[in-house]
Amino acid sequence: MSFVNIQEVSYTYTSKQPPILNKVTFSIDQGEIVGILGPSGSGKSTLLRLIAGLGTPDRGMISIADQVVVDGQTFVAPEDRGVGMVFQDYALFPHLNVEKNIEFGLHRMSRTERKARLDEMIELVQLQEFRKRYPHELSGGQQQRVALARALAPKPSLLLMDEPFSNLDTELRSSIRDELSAILRKAKMTCLLVTHDYQDVKAICNSEITL
Amino acid sequence: MVFKTLLRNIKMNTNGWLFISLIGVAVILLPVFSIFVSLFAEPNENWEHIKQYMLTNYILQSVGLMLFTGILTVMIGVTLAWLIAAYDFPLKRFFHWALVLPLSIPPYIAAYTYSAMLSYTGVVQTALRSTFGFTPDQKWFDIMSFPGAVFIFTLFLYPYVYMLTRSFLERQSGSYVENAILLGRKPVSIFFRIVLPISQPAIIGSLMLVIFEVISDYGVTSYFGIQTISTAIFQTWFGMYDVDTALRLSAWMMAGVLGLFLIERMLRYNRKYSASTSKSSQLVPKRLKGFSSFAALFFCGAVFACSFLIPVIQLIVWSYWTYEDVLTVAFFELTINTLFVAAIATGMIMFLAVVVANVARLQPNRFGTVLSKLMVSGYSLPGAIIAIGVLTFFIALDERMEFVYLLFGYEDAPLLLSMSLVMLIVAYVVRFMATGYNAVEAGFEKVGMVYTHASRTLGYGITRTFFKVDLFLIKGALMGGTILTFVEIIKELPMALLLRPFNFETLSTKTYQYASDERVIEAAIPSLFIITVSVISVLLFHQLGKKMEK
Repeated sequence: MSFVNIQEVSYTYTSKQPPILNKVTFSIDQGEIVGILGPSGSGKSTLLRLIAGLGTPDRGMISIADQVVVDGQTFVAPEDRGVGMVFQDYALFPHLNVEKNIEFGLHRMSRTERKARLDEMIELVQLQEFRKRYPHELSGGQQQRVALARALAPKPSLLLMDEPFSNLDTELRSSIRDELSAILRKAKMTCLLVTHDYQDVKAICNSEITL
Repeated sequence: MVFKTLLRNIKMNTNGWLFISLIGVAVILLPVFSIFVSLFAEPNENWEHIKQYMLTNYILQSVGLMLFTGILTVMIGVTLAWLIAAYDFPLKRFFHWALVLPLSIPPYIAAYTYSAMLSYTGVVQTALRSTFGFTPDQKWFDIMSFPGAVFIFTLFLYPYVYMLTRSFLERQSGSYVENAILLGRKPVSIFFRIVLPISQPAIIGSLMLVIFEVISDYGVTSYFGIQTISTAIFQTWFGMYDVDTALRLSAWMMAGVLGLFLIERMLRYNRKYSASTSKSSQLVPKRLKGFSSFAALFFCGAVFACSFLIPVIQLIVWSYWTYEDVLTVAFFELTINTLFVAAIATGMIMFLAVVVANVARLQPNRFGTVLSKLMVSGYSLPGAIIAIGVLTFFIALDERMEFVYLLFGYEDAPLLLSMSLVMLIVAYVVRFMATGYNAVEAGFEKVGMVYTHASRTLGYGITRTFFKVDLFLIKGALMGGTILTFVEIIKELPMALLLRPFNFETLSTKTYQYASDERVIEAAIPSLFIITVSVISVLLFHQLGKKMEK
């Protein structure tokens, strides 16, 4: 059985509009990096939100690591799904510095474990000099790396990325793309990446789905 | 399957936050509910009498006050808004915010101050007599009349219209006005053909605020001896101890308020046009020269003097005369009383506001919308209605609780709750929930959902997310809401009069008491205290507004 299963998932914003997602079905194997392509408004981000538990599908089933997280009678809250997410505009907490942002999801660990994991993540994304900085004191590329480190830190079973490059300029984009690809493979992450740029998919993903 | 899905959805959204929200909404709806229930009881003789001989008069007086105050506040408020938004003249930057200040003087304080100033022994007539040896006809200075009440309401409520209309004109009207100028229109014609029609939504919105203040008023009308529905509710309760009749009057008044709401809705939906451009365009002020510059300065100055400067100076002088008699231990006590009650009520309001606003935003469905609409519904209810509703509810509750009281050793089934501060606090919560709630809701809206979502995916539930993330992000809004609510409560008069426990005075009831004992001059110090606290909040609000516009 696949690691992530999406079965016939449908979602409608308002009853007056046609469904934005209509019986979407696919699956992802463990360690696979899948790109979701599609024009804006095709429901890519919505799909990620449903997988993360930030919305409830009208119909269909989603399971992660053999556990049904949502169907007609089950709903697992987002905090209990073990899913990490990198948001389009990063959503770094403005009142916390880099360390605190990355540490945020590590509340279930002991103090020493937490410290070790934090150091590990900071090294992974190469932000040693910026540990005490606040989000507004970082460049776009640095913010993106903090967001990635924060999402990876609690060791999620699945990482969701919503247009992770959309706020970066073109030059930065290609270097960060390679960097991200390396990090994800190093962490052996199962990952679902939403983008409207085929170049992203080509550089990072094993396979692709078009919505 | 459908049932199971329903069960899942209920389970998904059921938590402590929801329960607290439901309790909050129940509290808000309580007075309306108890008034509604009372309508099924048999009316008594008093009611028949009032209905037959007096009700028409009450309604006419109330409507008359609303109508004339409405017309005059719009005339003054919109004119000032246009002057400040569209022109540059000396002291304009000062008037920009100073013209909002009259809002910090509650109309009842203004009424006492003006009537004492204009009385035979007041500063105006004394000056005329001693300086010019001239004794004017008393009728000229009879402010304690219907026109006098309209005068007071207009001077101290116009800032609502001024504030909303000005900020609308400053942000929205630029391109329309520039086009009109290019098309060769003169300023007067621009004012009537462009400014008035396009600012209609801002004018109607602020007019509703003015009208709600007028129907809710008890201080001005009772002091001036004008019979409105609000004063009638008070008289039937205070004078005749007839709660049933007071309730019936409240029901009539509520029907009136509902009617007003429908009219406002109609006015809004009947607009045949809406903005043709969604882009906001700033209005660039034009410099006035010569006579017109002087006229603008004079007009703004005159309004500011009458509605703020003169009464405040008078109050300061009176305070200087009386501080030795007024500033006693008793005064200190009642100040503490006031701050204490206001702090408790504000705390409860902000707590419920935060909980309900959070539930409403986490459930972006019809349930959430209804929840937030109900939460703010108390603001449109006049204080007298809320007071009567709360009162009947607590009296009924005390009757039901009789056996509990007996169990605890109280004899003769005391009216424990209805003799305590609880009633007044509940009434404050109902009436001023909207002030706190709107601030919190705006704060949440500005922050959006993304940080909350990020925290959820990082393993925190709703409650921990709130304390670790949301609370920090809405801190400013929470603070603003707290201050505004606190000040509104300190200024409030009618509910405090009706619901305070025996021998419990607040600054506002003390002011009222001094005034009704013909000791207006001694009311100056509590009045000044209330005004000072309000000025701070008005200025803060102005500052916040400026920040928001940026």
